[in-house]
Amino acid sequence: MRYVETISTDPDSFDDEAWDDLRKHLSEDEIVELGMFLFMNLGFHTFFGTLKFYPMFAPDGRLVSQAESERLYGATPESLQGAAE
Amino acid sequence: MSRMAPLDLDEIKDPEIHELLAECEEFGVPDALFVRIFARKPDQLKGMLRAMLASHRDGNIDHKLKEIIRIQLARFAEDPYFSALRSKKAIAAGLTEEMIEIGCEDYEDSDLFSEREKVALRYAEQMFLDATKVDKIFYDEMHAHFSDAEIMELGSFIALFHGVHMVMRTLDARPLAAA
Repeated sequence: MRYVETISTDPDSFDDEAWDDLRKHLSEDEIVELGMFLFMNLGFHTFFGTLKFYPMFAPDGRLVSQAESERLYGATPESLQGAAE
Repeated sequence: MSRMAPLDLDEIKDPEIHELLAECEEFGVPDALFVRIFARKPDQLKGMLRAMLASHRDGNIDHKLKEIIRIQLARFAEDPYFSALRSKKAIAAGLTEEMIEIGCEDYEDSDLFSEREKVALRYAEQMFLDATKVDKIFYDEMHAHFSDAEIMELGSFIALFHGVHMVMRTLDARPLAAA
């Protein structure tokens, strides 16, 4: 999680020490797997954010309009708990 | 040298990865180093390389423009590996280093680029410098120059390569040809 946060918010601070820390806990195979997962996630969330679209379904499974979905999920959903209430 | 060593070619057993590696070497982006590092996870890599090639090499947006955008994004990400790579297809189509420099720095006042191309360069620039500026007004301006399909093509390309560059930066790699 520290790796993801650093890449996203403060990539300049990712140095040899940060790499060594990562290697202590993850194998090379795991770092490669995580890296490729991030390929798809670092940029697409920003892109989708500019398109202003929201999930088709409410947390309780109902098909909802984009207006209602925006109300349910909001611009920065930190938790879905209670979102359908 | 990259923080993670590339696998030897004979360690890569999946023939599809060798085929994709040959495609990448013919195209130029990425080079074999990227493939040999990420081949530690063959199934994920195959999907990723196909997505990267389809997004960058193929499609309807002018390839030279996409290559300038890709280099612009790699420089924003301060990724020395992808900043140094060049698409052989774009070079063969006439892309020059001068066009890349102007496209990455001073395109707004340049006669080298049409308004459509400038909007695309602005789109990539704003997406990761200040995404709040990519709003309805910005998309309305884009629609004057691009179809919905072209905007999706461009946006997906920008999103994918931004992620690739940011991760690759942490490996501190350089292209094989310059290593």
